[in-house]
Parts: sequence; structure tokens; C-alpha cells
Amino acid sequence: MSVAAPLFAWVGGGLAIGVVALHLLAWRRPPASLLPTARFAPDAPVRTVSPAVKPTDLALLAVRVLVIALVSAALAGPTFSSRVQGLGRVIVVDRSHGPEAWAPIDRVARSVYRSGDALVLFDSAAHEVRNPTVDSIVATSPTSESQGMSAALVVAMRAANELQRRRDSVEIVVVSPFGSDALDAATASIRRVWSGTVRTVRAGTPPNDTTRARRLDIRAGAGDPVSAALALAGAAPAGAVRVVRDSTRAADTAWARQGGAIVVWPTGAAHQGWQARAAADTAFGVTVTSSVAPSRTSPARSATVVARFVRRVTPPPGRVVARWDDGEPAATEIPLGAGCLRSVTVSVPSTGDLALTPAFRHFAEQLAGPCTGADGWVAASDSVVSAVLPAAGVRDAAGTISAADTTRSDSTIAAWLLGAAMAAAVVELLVRRGAANATA
Amino acid sequence: MRERRTAREEERQQRGDDETSGPESRGSLLDAIRGVKWPALRPVAGALPGAHHSRLRGAAPELSEYRVYRQGDDPKRIDWRLLARSDRAYIRLAEDRSTVSTLLIVDATASMAFPQRSLGKWRAASDVAVGLAAVAHTSRDPVGLVIVSGDGMRQLPPRTRRGIVGEIARALDDVAPHGSLPLAPAMRGIRSRIRVAIVSDFLGDADDVRRRAGEVSAAGGEVHAIHIVADEELDPPARSVLAVDPEDASLARPLVAESRAAYLERFAAWRTELAASWRAEGLSYTVARVSEPASRVVRHVAGAALGTGRVVTPDVRREIR
Repeated sequence: MSVAAPLFAWVGGGLAIGVVALHLLAWRRPPASLLPTARFAPDAPVRTVSPAVKPTDLALLAVRVLVIALVSAALAGPTFSSRVQGLGRVIVVDRSHGPEAWAPIDRVARSVYRSGDALVLFDSAAHEVRNPTVDSIVATSPTSESQGMSAALVVAMRAANELQRRRDSVEIVVVSPFGSDALDAATASIRRVWSGTVRTVRAGTPPNDTTRARRLDIRAGAGDPVSAALALAGAAPAGAVRVVRDSTRAADTAWARQGGAIVVWPTGAAHQGWQARAAADTAFGVTVTSSVAPSRTSPARSATVVARFVRRVTPPPGRVVARWDDGEPAATEIPLGAGCLRSVTVSVPSTGDLALTPAFRHFAEQLAGPCTGADGWVAASDSVVSAVLPAAGVRDAAGTISAADTTRSDSTIAAWLLGAAMAAAVVELLVRRGAANATA
Repeated sequence: MRERRTAREEERQQRGDDETSGPESRGSLLDAIRGVKWPALRPVAGALPGAHHSRLRGAAPELSEYRVYRQGDDPKRIDWRLLARSDRAYIRLAEDRSTVSTLLIVDATASMAFPQRSLGKWRAASDVAVGLAAVAHTSRDPVGLVIVSGDGMRQLPPRTRRGIVGEIARALDDVAPHGSLPLAPAMRGIRSRIRVAIVSDFLGDADDVRRRAGEVSAAGGEVHAIHIVADEELDPPARSVLAVDPEDASLARPLVAESRAAYLERFAAWRTELAASWRAEGLSYTVARVSEPASRVVRHVAGAALGTGRVVTPDVRREIR
């Protein structure tokens, strides 16, 4: 048992000692003595104050001390915790990646979950499941909207603090595909608040760092500046995208129909089916007006390259994804089956260092994104996940939330104690009345 | 009965021990009052020759005056020598001395059994009564005794025989003060022209007793009040106690430091009023403290009759005030 406010316990003890002292000085009936001339003494109440070694009115004293003890105990806020030996766990299950990714997550979550664990589910909102069972994991259908891992971590830490009252140690187990969209700047800060262990279990996506490289397919010749720019883009996420620097083939079209994004970015800035401009001219800048795939997997960002570009063709009709500085379309995108075909008419000089500039790298990265309107997501790399959600907590920040929660008094016990104190006060009244009648 | 007698014997034994160790034993008392006279306050009308002036004038040896012989006088009382010298017939007149019956009324109620351990008030009352009986008996006066206790009244009619003082002493020693009974009824059957000495603390029916004493005095009798007061009553212990009246257990009042002054004041006022009321009736009133030797009290009472020999001690003077 622990108390939230020991001061009240000390004050109660002092009051109890005071009550005992008062009972040592209680009104007492003086000893009787025969005196024939007693009639000449003033007629006064036959009680007087006198000190005594033994407290008087023991029943009344006991009830009064009980009242004080109960009130002080209620104000002190005792907390009774029956700790269970062993490890307590909070299972955080990510349900925000849609029905397609849910099956492996559900399977892994069921294998991880044990009876007695706390369960936190999050998609568009994070919430702790009360009295969870293994079936609670699939109580509702998963959604494709996510509020992010940060909110789920806050709920999980709150559940972990509750669980910490009953367990020796608590760890948080996060079962998620760890999409890059789920991790934000606050995730790492929130993780540092929790001093315990956070174990990450990836489900529904391969845990590696080569996802983008394997999925981004570039077909270009040697020394191609676009290839170089995309290679320098580094860890920028990419979807199932194929960049074609030459002419498209039937296999490309078939691949795109299955959900891929074909980026036709010919070397000569001319492609079969594209309309040539009446006269070649020069543009001095090009901008990706919005994200090629402005979905949650690729937040809307603009990328502008200021340089001298020669315009010879006009992209085919479609959704404009990039414009020249004068507003004419520089790249368009048309849907193709489950995927799309993106046409880029920006000619990149093979000489010079334009392709190596950060602006162009960013520009190329944006154009090499997944299809517009695609609801795909990209898994964060293991290194990112381990950096954002390290297994060990920060010792210095241990228990900032935990300490605040463990000092919370148990209002139920306090209410019962106060109720008992009131009952004892009524008993005290009755005992006092009885004692008064006895001494009168 | 046997147990009661045993208790009394133990009490008497204890009392005897106290007497030997006390300020004045019974023997010392009798020695101290040897020769003390207790004359009547006024001429008595007794027929038997005694030590008190009689209202009658007869043929006593002590000449008082001559009176011319009148017809009807006894010729034997004619002074023949004076007749021979003066040729006139005179008869000799002498003041007769007679006895006066003395009745001692002793209060033996519970209030006299105080202090409980030494029974000082009862001892003082007994000694004073025995002393007065002895003094009266020395003058060949009949002496009687009435003891008023919770069991009723025990009487010894006035007698002049030898040993009456011892009988009185034994009767007093056989009594353990207890209970409550008024004193006034003990004076109902008293004939006039008797001397009555009331030894009591007057905490009972004091007004009735004084009223009855006034009637006896008006009828030619003589009443002496000996007020027995214990030192513990005059100066109670300083500790806080619940004072309980021994004759009325329902009368219990706290005697603490705060009420002590009021108690002393009220008790002194009552004593002053009591003394004034007795003296206003023309009665004799004497305060006898327990610590005061009984012989001195006896002398005070006897001195009150003489009007001259009374020794007024500072304590008594303070009490009278």
C-alpha cells in the first residue's frame, strides 16, 4: 500500500494523540467523601477537570480516534496494488492499412497477444480495448485511414501505466507494417517519454531497406542524367514505378495495367504519339504543380527547376502533373488499367550538372512517384523504425507519465473511507450521548 | 448480633487506643474537671437539699434574715434568744439549697460519625457529655441521658445514685452514631425547671430544637447548647472531592478549589446565625471544636452558668464573631 499525501496521515496521527491527551484531562466525577456540612458547598455540576494516568471513556476515545484515522486515511489517498509477478504487455495493433494488409497483421497480432495483455487498436483513432480478448483484435473491420503512430503510442503509454500497477515490468509491442506515413516527427519524442521497452513487430510488409530500389525500375542507357538524379534522390520513398527513357513496350503497358506507374520520359523528349510543337522554344523553368501521387503515401509537395529547357513536343492530353513556367503542361498522366501512364516532355541535357542539382533530383523524384489517386503505402525501413521507436527507453526521462499516474489516489478507497468515517462519527455521537447520561 | 458486638468491641478498642494516645483521655478529663461547679442559672425550686440556690427559704443552718413572726408560722422557728433580748418574736429565715435535674441530650446521628476514621465529633460529644454529667453529679444533681441515633432514642432517667456517670459513659461508648433522627422530639417530655444540655452539631432540625429549647427556658428550665464542630468541617482538605452528606446520600456537591471559599463563607455565616439565634432566646451556646480538650468545654459551659469563670479562647472568640 502506498499513500498519495502522507502529510494527512501525519496530521491525523497528531490529532489522534491530541484526542488521547484530552481524554487524560477529561471531565471526571471527583471522588466521593463524606462531609456532614456538604450542604454549605455551592450547588454546581458534580464534574470537574482532573488529569489521569489512564484515559477515560475508552469506548468514546476509540471511536474518536477511529474517525480521525479514517478521515486522515481518506485524505492521504491510499493505493492498494496487488502486483502480479511477470511482464505485462501492451499490444498496439495498426489497422490503418486497409483490408489488403490486414490479414498478416491480424495473424501476427494474434500470435503475439497473450491473455492479460492490454490491447490498443489504432486506425483513424487510437483506443484501448477494455477487457480484451484475442478476438478483440478483429472486433471491427480495419480502415484505410490513419491518425499516425504518435496517437497510438500516447494511448499505449497510458495503458502501460495502468498495467504497471499490477506488473513488475511492462513493455509495449507495436504490431504494424510501419508505413512511412505512420511515423511522424512527434513519434520519436513521444517514444522518449516512455522509459520502458518498446518492441516492434513488422507485419504485412517485408522488413528491409531495398523496397524502393527493387520497386523503382529505370530503363535507360548508360550515363543517363535522369537515372543519376533518381539514384541520388536517396531514401525518397517510391512506389511501383518504372521509368522508361526510351520507347514503351507492350510489357510495360501490361505491367502498368496491374497497378504500376510507367513514367515515359524519353531521352530526346519525343515519343510516338506525342504532338510536336509548331516551333521549338525555350522555357526557363518547370514545376511539378502537385505531387504526382498526392495520396497519404506521398504528401503534396512542389518541386521547381529553374534552367533553360528546349520545348519541342507537347504531352498527350491527361491530368497535368507538371507545367512549364508559362503555364503550359510539361507532363501529363493518364490512367491505364490499375496503373497509369505518365508522359514527361522535359528534355534533360546530357551534359552539364543540371541533373545533379538538388532541385532537379527532387523534381525527378516527384515525377517518379506512384500513380495519382493510388492508395498504396510504403513501408518505412527498419533503420527508420529502430531510430524512431528504439527498443530501450531513455533512462533519464523514466516515468514522467508513469510517476504522475502512480501518485493518483484511488478515489474508490477514499470514498469508502470517508463513508466509514461518517458512520463512525454517528456512532461517536451515540456513545457520547450515552456517556453523558451515565455521568449525569 | 455477635458480629455487631464484635464490631463495637473493636471500635471501642480502637477508641480506647485513641483515648490513650489522644490529647485527653477519659480519666484525664475527670481529673481536669475536678472541683468544677455547674450552678444553675436561676434559683431552683427543688425540694431535696442540694448545691443550688433554692427559691424556698427554710430552716437551713445558714442564716439569711429575720422576719417578724406571723400567725401560722411554725413556733419552732422563733428565735428565742432574740425574743429574750428584744421582747419581739422573730423567726429565722435561711436560703435553702436544692438540686436540679440535669438531662444530657447527645446527638448520635450519622453526621456525628465524622471524621469516619477517628469519629472525632462523636468522641468529643461523648467526652463533653461525660464531663458535664460528672460535674453535675458532683453537686448531687440527678443526671440523665438521652441518646438520639438512627435506631431511635435511648434514655437513662436522671438519677443521683453512685455510678450514674459510669452508666452514662458506658451507654455512650456502646453507641455507634448512624442514621438520621430529629433531636426536637427528645425534648418533648421534659418537665419544666430542669437543666438540659444538648450536645450536637445542629445539622439536623436546628430550628425546631432551638424553638423547643426556648419553651423549656420559658417554663423555668435551663438549656445549654454545645455545638460540636470538626476541624475538617472548618478547614476541608484542599483536594477536589464530591462532598456527600452522611445523613442524605442524595445531597452530593463538589468541593473543589473554586467552591472552597464559598463553602467556608456560607458555613461561617450559618454558625454565626445559629449562635445569635440561641443567644437571642436567652440560651447558653458554646462551640466545641473537636481538637479542643473536653475539660475546657465543660469549664466553658459551667462558666456560662457562673457568668464569670468562662474562659474565652481565641478560637471561641472567632467562632462567636
